[in-house]
Amino acid sequence: MTRRYETVYIFDSALEEPAVTEKLTKFHALLTRDGKGAVSDVNHWGKRTLAYTLKKKDTGYYVVAKFEAEREVLPEYERLVKLDEGVLRYLVVQAGEEPTRPAAAPVAAEIEVEEEE
Amino acid sequence: MKRPAKTCPVCESGARVLDYKDERTLSRFLTDRGKILPSRLSGMCARHQRQAATAVKRARQLALLPYIKGYVG
Repeated sequence: MTRRYETVYIFDSALEEPAVTEKLTKFHALLTRDGKGAVSDVNHWGKRTLAYTLKKKDTGYYVVAKFEAEREVLPEYERLVKLDEGVLRYLVVQAGEEPTRPAAAPVAAEIEVEEEE
Repeated sequence: MKRPAKTCPVCESGARVLDYKDERTLSRFLTDRGKILPSRLSGMCARHQRQAATAVKRARQLALLPYIKGYVG
């Protein structure tokens, strides 16, 4: 049974783009191994500042990949990603309905926040 | 005195599904310390409030949003 997933990888920003692409090829080769999975969309966000430090790094190289895969290959795939020293963090989620970015940015109702510290 | 019902800002914007990768939009539903606003203050409908909560938690895992804003060290 194939399912649609989405992975966000955060690579060490010290890695150059060819090195990142090489790692991605390695990860995705596993998913498409027996011809059942397919990687449909790989989106490089590039270097971004992290909201908090990860492994003593302030920046990370973000890549978002969408794919279809047999769920049986996921544990092996996640193990491979986890073992890679160049990946600071990753997140695999099942892709649901395609999110629509709000056209007009929604405004949180009048901010009357009583903040208890 | 009954307060007029607030309408969900996400429904009004025309979006059906919130994206955990869109931290700019999500940050509108956080306090200035980075906590998730209760629906009472965010004005979101139950469906979008649940979505926003999950999305914020995912964004935090990915260091797109801080767990605590202004916390250093």
